[in-house]
Amino acid sequence: MTASNDIGALATMMLARALESALVARADCGFQLLSSGQEAVAVGLAAALLPHDQLLCSGRAIAPALARGLDPGAVMAELIGRVAGPCLGRGGRGHLSQPSAGFFGAHAVVAGNLSIAAGVALALQARGDGSIAVCLFGDGACGAGAVHETMNIAALWRLPLLLVCDNNLYSVSTPRSAALAPRQLSDLAAPFGIKACTVDGMDVRAVRAAAVALTDHVRTGGGPAFLECISRRFESHSTSARESRATTELAADRALDPIKRLENALHAEGALSAQTAEALHEQVRAKVAAACAFAEASPLPVPDQAFADVG
Amino acid sequence: MRRVFFREAVCRAVRETLDADPTAIVMGQDVGAFGGSYKEFSGLYERFGPARVRDTPVAEAAMVGLGVGAAAAGLRPLVSITYMDFVLLALDPLVNYAAKARFKTGGQIRVPLVVKLTAGAKGQGVAHSQSFESWLMSVPGLRVVAPSNVADAYGLMRSALQADGPVVYVDHKRLFPTSGPLDDSPHEVPFGMAAVSRPGSHATIVAHSYMVSVALAAAGLLSATGIDCEVIDLRSLAPLDLATVCASVSKTGALLTLEEGQLVCGIGAEIACRVQARLGPVRVSRLGAVAAPISSNPVLEAASLPDAARVAEAVRSLLRTTDISPPPRG
Amino acid sequence: MLYKLVLPGPIDDLSEVRVLEWHGSPDTEFNPGDLMVELDTHKAVVEMRASSKTVLRRILIAAGEWQQVGAPLAILSDSADESLPERAEQLAQSSVTYEMV
Repeated sequence: MTASNDIGALATMMLARALESALVARADCGFQLLSSGQEAVAVGLAAALLPHDQLLCSGRAIAPALARGLDPGAVMAELIGRVAGPCLGRGGRGHLSQPSAGFFGAHAVVAGNLSIAAGVALALQARGDGSIAVCLFGDGACGAGAVHETMNIAALWRLPLLLVCDNNLYSVSTPRSAALAPRQLSDLAAPFGIKACTVDGMDVRAVRAAAVALTDHVRTGGGPAFLECISRRFESHSTSARESRATTELAADRALDPIKRLENALHAEGALSAQTAEALHEQVRAKVAAACAFAEASPLPVPDQAFADVG
Repeated sequence: MRRVFFREAVCRAVRETLDADPTAIVMGQDVGAFGGSYKEFSGLYERFGPARVRDTPVAEAAMVGLGVGAAAAGLRPLVSITYMDFVLLALDPLVNYAAKARFKTGGQIRVPLVVKLTAGAKGQGVAHSQSFESWLMSVPGLRVVAPSNVADAYGLMRSALQADGPVVYVDHKRLFPTSGPLDDSPHEVPFGMAAVSRPGSHATIVAHSYMVSVALAAAGLLSATGIDCEVIDLRSLAPLDLATVCASVSKTGALLTLEEGQLVCGIGAEIACRVQARLGPVRVSRLGAVAAPISSNPVLEAASLPDAARVAEAVRSLLRTTDISPPPRG
Repeated sequence: MLYKLVLPGPIDDLSEVRVLEWHGSPDTEFNPGDLMVELDTHKAVVEMRASSKTVLRRILIAAGEWQQVGAPLAILSDSADESLPERAEQLAQSSVTYEMV
């Protein structure tokens, strides 16, 4: 693991956090599903992907999209419904997508993207160039039949598919312990003979190491794999959902901040000077400001666009 | 031109597509060596192998989801679900993803997927007999077609397998025993074009799928009593060819819609409303299944569904209606 | 005695079948259990086998051609030397349906 990778990871996590902060400060923010707190899962995972791989995710898509390298201005434009977004402002919240960038994208139906990802994996398998499909989903999806149906077929057909459960411990307000019986969610993969592990999703290095190992397994024809990342979200389920956690619990969660954790580790290892850190913060501030300016310069769609690309 | 069974027309269209398009695949329960529940995929597994003709587990949601994802990522899958009733398990990928992908991604993703469903009642009971076409035709982004005969089974399947978006292809259990002529050269039946199955002047019966043959039988009964019915075979439900229906109704002045599905929010309701929006008030009546589950009991099944005698009676009753002004001509 | 070989019906909603292959030609003698003809239906290949000793005299529907369920596919007789009427309608009148088991 080189320092430049770590610094790149740190910069991307900071960018996601800062872009979301700028987003929620806006009057036109509307309904959003924020990645805040869960950046390490997206960034650690994306570090293991190659350009032709395809990442699919749940509606919680801001950090995954940025980690996959989408332009922050285009992402911001999409999130606030401007035509400069990759989906022309039509997909918007929960449906960010840019397949040409390896980001097949978000689908905001819980568990709705799992079998789709397996289909993408089938197409990639048929293409035979070694690329893989990766599906990032929440713990809430693990109670749905789609997880089991998808793992069964993916194992049977040895699809190049990595399933990544970003387990933030809550389905809106329902604790994972009240919704899901397995001891660990990665245990779900065992009956299908699918290679699986559980890591600390607040540690970007741990996520990246596991993702590299599992993507290697998938890429070399080992069949599907399952990665569970235990994470914490720092905001409520969505910008329109009430927070259900006690203040003390939320404070404890926020103390696990993956950005501070990596920053502190790099400081301790002598790999990040105060000067470099400040420069990173300044770069991120500039990128976010440019992204907001780019998005604001783009118009909202004309109403006729409500009927475009339907039939 | 040669005579073929219905299943052979379906099979030929799929075989020709798989021959011509290396991205085309077939997925579903029993589509492999078994050749499909109605032998409509007979010989494909032997010709194209297990990678392109794939048996799947009994998991409709995943089957359709995989088909949607594969289509979105560059393949051209046909997913076969033997009983239309079971597409209910797969509506999420079909409705929430496939039908919306092109729109929601700003045209970046297209889903050239065919989902083939077999509708209709034939003694198999409450959860194996239903006709849900009207539900599906109300989903923006889905195309829904339903052949009534061998030639259209072939031509509509060819079109479905060339479409650039998701198509639901609905056939019917009672069509598989039928046979009919089919042109030897490859050809398509375009979507959105109804056909006049029988010309007539006194009343228009609009139907699709198996109910076309019921309408034709009823027209035969009625012609013996001097009532001359025009029978329109919709063939394509979404898009709907309203022009052909309206041309017929402006000639006859009386419209009976006939479907095997439910009448509430049904195809007949849609057509009746749209025809009158275009032509003004006309005599309209709807016939469909009774508002009850369809039993496998032969007495109860027959009591639930339109047959030629009921269709003929509905036309006679429609023509007795006098409290409406005639439609504009032409 | 002359007989009409007929696929008995009704079968399902099937109205027509296609002759796939004849396993004999005019004057072929069949013993009980011998395969006479294979028919293609919408679902399956149907085998028609001799139920008693009989002679195939004239094929009315050749391989690849279609016939209505319940209509004759061929004329059979008890022995090869019985005379056959020339015209099809005479054949139909002078024969009875061959009993299938």
